[in-house]
Amino acid sequence: MYRKLNTVFVFVTILAVLLAACGGAPQATTVAPPEQAETTAPEETEPVVLEPTDTQAPEPTEAPTEVATEAVDAQGGETYKIGFAPAITGPGSSLGAPEHATGQLIAEQLNEQGGIVGPDDVRHPVEIVIYDTETNPDVAVSVVRRMIEEDNVQVVVAGTTTGISMAIVPIVTEAEVPYISMASSAAIVMDPDTGETRTWAFKTAQDNFASAQWQAQYLTDLGLTQVCHLSENSGYGADTLAQAENAFGEAGIEIVYSDSFEREGTEFPQVINVQTSGCQAVVVGAIPPASSNISIALRDALPDIPIVHGHGTCNQEHIDLMGEAVAEGMVSPCGKVMVSETLPDDDPQKDVLLQYVADYTEFTGEPVNTFGGHGWDALMLAVNALGSLTGDLSLDEQRAAVRDYLENEVTDWPGISGVYNLSPDDHFSLGFDSLTFVKVEGGKWVFYPPDQWE
Amino acid sequence: MKAPDQNESKQNLIGWIVLAALVGLLGWIGITRPFGLEVADLTAGMVTLDTLIRIGILTILLVGLNLLMGYAGQVSLGHAAFYGVGAYMSAILTTRAGNLLGISGSVVGSWWWPWLVIVVGMVFSGSLAYLIGRPILRLKGHYLAMATLGLGIMFFILFRENLGFQGQHITGAFDGIPGIPRLRIAGFEIWPISRYYIFVWLLAMLVIAFGLNLINSRTGRALRAIHGSEVAARAMGVDVATYKARIFAISAILASLAGSLYAHFQASVSPIPFSFVASLELVVMSAVGGLSSIWGAPFGVAFILIIREILRSRLRQVLQGASGEHEIIFYGLVLILIMIFMPEGITVGVLNRWRSWRSREREDAALTASSGAGGD
Amino acid sequence: MNRTRSDNLLRTARFVAVLLLFAIPVVYLGIQRNYGVLQFAQLALDGLRGGAIYALIAMGFVMVFNVTGIINFAQGAFVMLGGMLTVTFYQMESSLPDRLHLIASAVLAVIITTLIGILIERLTIYPARKSSTLTLIIITVGVYIAMQGLGLLVWGAKAYVFPAFTTLAMTDHVFRWFGLVIKAQSFWIWGSMILVLVLLAYFFERTLLGKAMRACSVNRHGARLVGIGAERMSLLAFGMAAAVGAIGGIVVSPILRPSYDMGLSLGLKGFVAAILGGLVSTPGAVLGGLLLGFLENVAAGVTKAGMKDIYAFILLILTLLFRPQGLLGVGKTAVESSSEDQG
Repeated sequence: MYRKLNTVFVFVTILAVLLAACGGAPQATTVAPPEQAETTAPEETEPVVLEPTDTQAPEPTEAPTEVATEAVDAQGGETYKIGFAPAITGPGSSLGAPEHATGQLIAEQLNEQGGIVGPDDVRHPVEIVIYDTETNPDVAVSVVRRMIEEDNVQVVVAGTTTGISMAIVPIVTEAEVPYISMASSAAIVMDPDTGETRTWAFKTAQDNFASAQWQAQYLTDLGLTQVCHLSENSGYGADTLAQAENAFGEAGIEIVYSDSFEREGTEFPQVINVQTSGCQAVVVGAIPPASSNISIALRDALPDIPIVHGHGTCNQEHIDLMGEAVAEGMVSPCGKVMVSETLPDDDPQKDVLLQYVADYTEFTGEPVNTFGGHGWDALMLAVNALGSLTGDLSLDEQRAAVRDYLENEVTDWPGISGVYNLSPDDHFSLGFDSLTFVKVEGGKWVFYPPDQWE
Repeated sequence: MKAPDQNESKQNLIGWIVLAALVGLLGWIGITRPFGLEVADLTAGMVTLDTLIRIGILTILLVGLNLLMGYAGQVSLGHAAFYGVGAYMSAILTTRAGNLLGISGSVVGSWWWPWLVIVVGMVFSGSLAYLIGRPILRLKGHYLAMATLGLGIMFFILFRENLGFQGQHITGAFDGIPGIPRLRIAGFEIWPISRYYIFVWLLAMLVIAFGLNLINSRTGRALRAIHGSEVAARAMGVDVATYKARIFAISAILASLAGSLYAHFQASVSPIPFSFVASLELVVMSAVGGLSSIWGAPFGVAFILIIREILRSRLRQVLQGASGEHEIIFYGLVLILIMIFMPEGITVGVLNRWRSWRSREREDAALTASSGAGGD
Repeated sequence: MNRTRSDNLLRTARFVAVLLLFAIPVVYLGIQRNYGVLQFAQLALDGLRGGAIYALIAMGFVMVFNVTGIINFAQGAFVMLGGMLTVTFYQMESSLPDRLHLIASAVLAVIITTLIGILIERLTIYPARKSSTLTLIIITVGVYIAMQGLGLLVWGAKAYVFPAFTTLAMTDHVFRWFGLVIKAQSFWIWGSMILVLVLLAYFFERTLLGKAMRACSVNRHGARLVGIGAERMSLLAFGMAAAVGAIGGIVVSPILRPSYDMGLSLGLKGFVAAILGGLVSTPGAVLGGLLLGFLENVAAGVTKAGMKDIYAFILLILTLLFRPQGLLGVGKTAVESSSEDQG
């Protein structure tokens, strides 16, 4: 009996130590900003909102903080809520974590300006309610339901990956809540069987099809017609292959060998097959660290073969994980955010991009990342839509109004991932032009537009 | 393991009624929201109807698992596979059946088709389990654990790959299969969520009753004999191999049913909930609730799912950043602690302690009575 | 039941026949993909490298199982700890020259992992040592879950970088012999495997402590009668398994970016390797590991490589069904023996 008590004691001690140690420890993915922006700690000097369910504050508040400029506005409007659920942990976390950081960044900015001003000149605080979907569709569904029914959000921004987004679509459609996804598959916004646009779903990530089109263009320019395609075994990877099959077919490029590979693999027999298939270039559909691992394996066996990646690799981690020497010369289509400084000055997105890059790197201390950009676009679209709401609407009417705004009022809007032109038939609008082409030189990404290809 | 006697049968009945009443009460609150009260309010925002439905679905699964692990004593570290078979079967055949098997769209769209699919899934799972079970269940202890683990992973890989033939993709890879229709009976749709809650829990209570009955039946006694000692059971004329395979099949059937219910609840399936980790979670739930008790099923599931919700909402306020998989540590710790201190699980452990406390009370009372009465 | 020599021979012959059954379709498929001898050799070589990792992990399993009768599902966690701790220490500032810094980090990581292994044994296994197999299995599963969660807590979800040992940079030196491509890291991996094997062999054969452990695994009661405490041996076994697992994690880190969940997949494959080898001896574990790596890689190469994992588990099921005692196990099978008979 004493031995067992001993065990309990040790466990409790360990637990206590853990909690104490980690209570203030910075997480690997987000740097703790000194001030948490979400405004639901009970002691808030919150102007108006008296939500009965304050206790479910899911945001990472260290301690109840005084929010800087929560001035009680003379015309204090109701707090608008955006439900935000990226995949902060789980296999999708390399995409979700930057999205999460971006969300925190925006929340802080919103807080500093005290919210947004509606058309009736009333200032409304905007709260971003954050949940983690853990890259698990079950969790995503539960969490989105909660956002809609308990937190009463006006708009949902969620779905780091396609699988999760697809699980969320029926929920938001039934509940009639506008939903902006950060994942790439076209099926999220358009029913693949009927071709109809889904009424309540929008998305901000560039398509893999657009990415494949760029790859096809590059390969054609180099005169290559026989390629191998290696994709990681995830939803993203599988989709890159499917889209490559479409786009390359159109361009007359043949995929002589395609296969998938594991992210955590140590040996890559696929490389041997690449060698024996006789293809002239390798197209890879993966995100780091898988993209880096396979690149190293490819380079070890085939030092000279051209390697073309997809737009999921557009972050510094991809280069760092394989080392400069291996990465040198690799190309991929990319969102413009990675090369914002080297863009021509007349590019409509340049200012927005530079601002985001500066804000993000200052907020997190880490280099910027395309996925964070998808999050930024989705959240800012939501914020702008909320800014159009007039003061006297019910929750259902607000949700419908946000949806209408997204469908009709977003024209030539420069976001991070591209310039948006949404319409009732087109809920994402980013295509070929939202991407550009980049190359790795000296361990960094540089702008590599078609006129520079040899 | 004690055989249930008359007393226990009565206790089981009482327990069933109590559980039914609790489920009914929670359902009533969740659905009608009297006085603006919500289930969420009662539980400080942790539990919603959504959670309760998931508890119901997993209870069905876990009754089967408890029968297998607790009564028959056979470890299964891959049970999420059968859960997945039911879910994927329902998903595929209610959305892509037309492409695959040439079944006309009007049949696929009819109200009775998903029900047929559920039954087909159960039969398929059961048969598969029986076939696989006969050779595999000859193994003991760790070897059996390993075999079930391997099986579970194999199925997961199958779900995960974008399998197909004739150009038709079946399993949809990581993105899974969306667009699963809701269940209907003629024109009556078992949706919105309030109706599904009643439906799921109706089934769950039936399954619990089934499990309780099974324990008391000949099969149940045979199972307990097998768990006690296979050699002895065989000596008594119990066909060990058949019984084990049978219970494996039953647990697979229940898992498949749960999977189908899940598919129609979630309206889409993807491989992640059927991974190795998911199988482990099932084992955790089973162990925590009480392996050798049917009541352990609903209790274990509820305990784990609620703890998860707690960790999700509260932990974030203690540890900065996401709580996501950090709850894993607590799973692990909870598991370890329960296994050390109350390895029979919470329901059984608590019941046992209560019973022994009760009997001690009775003894004391008897002692004082006899010493008070004359003292001769 | 005593098996005669000829019975054993027959069984081995059957097993070899099965292997041949595997070899023929493999060769056929390979030729269809324009493989030459070179490609097969490359596949085999790469497979043996992966196999060496599995071997290291499997040795840990076998040690614990032999002494305690428990399959330690938490072995994968030791692998993860070894890798992650080394990365952490290496990334810290130090005045040591790089090479020494690496060595020091590795040694420190192994020591700490060993201590953690011992801690786990005392805290979780020891109190439950009289429990049933099922309970013990679940406990070690719980330990693994907790350790992985701990890893997530401490290191976060990202993948870390670790330089190759030879060049101390991200790019490794690559040997190109006879058309084969061999990374320098492979030699480190093979080398550690051989080193550990030799050290363990010496330990078990020549040292008193090692012999005591062997005695414990052969017959626990008998060992206790001559004064060998099963509890102490259990502690030792766990510590050593942790150390060996950590070494495995360290040498594989330059190839496989270390992250908090690297232990899951490696641990599982290590299990399979241990079972393949027969769970009786460390040489068996090595054999099992190498065989698994080889078969898995070759099969994946000639078919759909993305489904590589499935081959490991197909092999597992086949082994459990047809030869549960693995390659080197004799007599006692998984069907007849039960770990409940231990101690």
